[in-house]
Amino acid sequence: MNKPLRIALTKGRLEKDTVGLLEKIGFDCTAIREKGRKLILPVPDGNLEVVLAKANDVITYVEHGVCDMGVVGKDTIMEMQGKFFELVDIGFGRCKFALATKKGSKFYGGYDVKTVATKYPNITRRFFESKGMDVEIIKIEGSVELAPLLELADGIVDIVETGTTLKENGLEVIEDVCPISARLIVNMVSMKMRQQEIENFVKLVEENID
Amino acid sequence: MKRYDLITPEGTRDLLFDGCLARRAVEDKLAALFEGFGYSEVVTPGIEFYDLFMGSSRNFQQESLYKLTDTKGRLIVMRPDSTIPIARLASTRLKEAKLPLRLYYNQSIFENNALLKGRSDEVVQAGIELIGGVNSKRADYEVLCTAVEALAAFDKDNFRLEIGHIGYFKELVKKLDVSESVREEIRLLISTKNYPALNDLLDEVGENQITNALKQLPRLFGGIEVLDKAADIYADDKITGILYNLREVFTRLSSLGYEGKISVDLGIVSHADYYTGIVFKGYLSEVGQSVLKGGRYDKLLGEFGNDCPAVGFGVNVDSVARHMEKIGGVPQLKTADAVVFGEKGYVVEAMAYAQKLVRDGLTVENSLFNTQDESAEYAKSKGIKKLIVVGSEITELDI
Repeated sequence: MNKPLRIALTKGRLEKDTVGLLEKIGFDCTAIREKGRKLILPVPDGNLEVVLAKANDVITYVEHGVCDMGVVGKDTIMEMQGKFFELVDIGFGRCKFALATKKGSKFYGGYDVKTVATKYPNITRRFFESKGMDVEIIKIEGSVELAPLLELADGIVDIVETGTTLKENGLEVIEDVCPISARLIVNMVSMKMRQQEIENFVKLVEENID
Repeated sequence: MKRYDLITPEGTRDLLFDGCLARRAVEDKLAALFEGFGYSEVVTPGIEFYDLFMGSSRNFQQESLYKLTDTKGRLIVMRPDSTIPIARLASTRLKEAKLPLRLYYNQSIFENNALLKGRSDEVVQAGIELIGGVNSKRADYEVLCTAVEALAAFDKDNFRLEIGHIGYFKELVKKLDVSESVREEIRLLISTKNYPALNDLLDEVGENQITNALKQLPRLFGGIEVLDKAADIYADDKITGILYNLREVFTRLSSLGYEGKISVDLGIVSHADYYTGIVFKGYLSEVGQSVLKGGRYDKLLGEFGNDCPAVGFGVNVDSVARHMEKIGGVPQLKTADAVVFGEKGYVVEAMAYAQKLVRDGLTVENSLFNTQDESAEYAKSKGIKKLIVVGSEITELDI
């Protein structure tokens, strides 16, 4: 038997969804369901090895080739960037990046440079660069919605799923930045050196996503 | 004030003992191979004018360059690449030289990488440039053979050389009625094999033979059957010619005893404004990034007023060396054969004797201790098997 293909999963919801998908394909994921504190887990009948990691680390591990594949959100891919193949839109965790402001405020009016709070400074910078617009970006770690309420920022760029949090805090989406969902990414060398195995796996994934 | 006098800048490292041996071994192997095929070494400056790297086909991202200024305030960069300086050299000092020119290099390049990604900002690259030559096909073939020989010299069972042709993508995308920025976006999506986004973008452009072919382009990699698939999807005279050339090169390379080690990827589309023909990449298993990159660049020398075709490749010496160290493919560090100790009043004689031994090809360490006991203790701690005591006579002691 060949060395197993190593796939990094983003811990949390994406991990659960991906394990569901692997089980739907027909792999035995008992080891992952009963993982305890282990971080590297075998899926013996798939000749797979699952690594559990934080989203940013999934990208780092795949880029360096210590994991052959990874499942990670498009939000992380856009924020981190990097060199790898992005093969499949798996469809879980579908939501969007959006620009939101306090209800009724005019973000695009006036001459003054606007301040934008976000957890995703790179995405925000690129979004406004593509508009040729100077903004001041402030990185916030926790609830970004607070920044406009405390009048630190004129707007926020953040992930929006249902929009409930925004609404409850008197904010509204004024522009969509881009859609997001989970992606299957593959290391560039693994793709070539283990083409057949990876293509087989990708085919199984594609056949089993809704 | 905080002083940074005990650490090295992010992305750089000190290379010690085994690491140096490994790097040197890789460099020597490559130099011997290149010289064997008639290439001569050149060295270009570590710093060059910024302008050199800002031409129509040689754009480097500003933020990836290390920049400084010279005494006249002109912008200087740390060399980010060796091919462009060599193209400059070939178009100036070597302009009148007889073609083809076979040049090789082995020097560092510098790239200002994003922090904390584990990438090196200073990388040693070795490579060749074959400049001129009446028959480009023969030149391509020669360079590809050299590349495959280089990879095989490192890890003959676990390498892969992958060939493509930038013309296949260029011909297709040329026929699309879209803006330059959309073309660039298509290129990026193909190079990252981002199937979903590529499909979305091309659906917007419209449904026709060309968009259909571009959608399948990232999947066109693997064995020689890929070329048949490509021909089935779309073919005009130019593309048929390109595919024919690739097939020929593929068969010829495989016949050198490298069946199964050569593959095709028509989706190699990086540096599309720089490359003009065949493009290729080399991989070693267990190394997460390609270790060899190259291709044909027939327009570059023309930008220096010397219209002349060229083809070449570079090898990432550092990542090959790290791989070789891991698989045990490099020489081991040698301990000295003996410690030479001069008794009081015999310092000159001891050094003369050490000198004689070194000339004879031995490795010896001169003892800096005052007593024979301390010297013996030192030899023992370093695993050196012999102590030579130089006094009124010369005694060899086994440790």
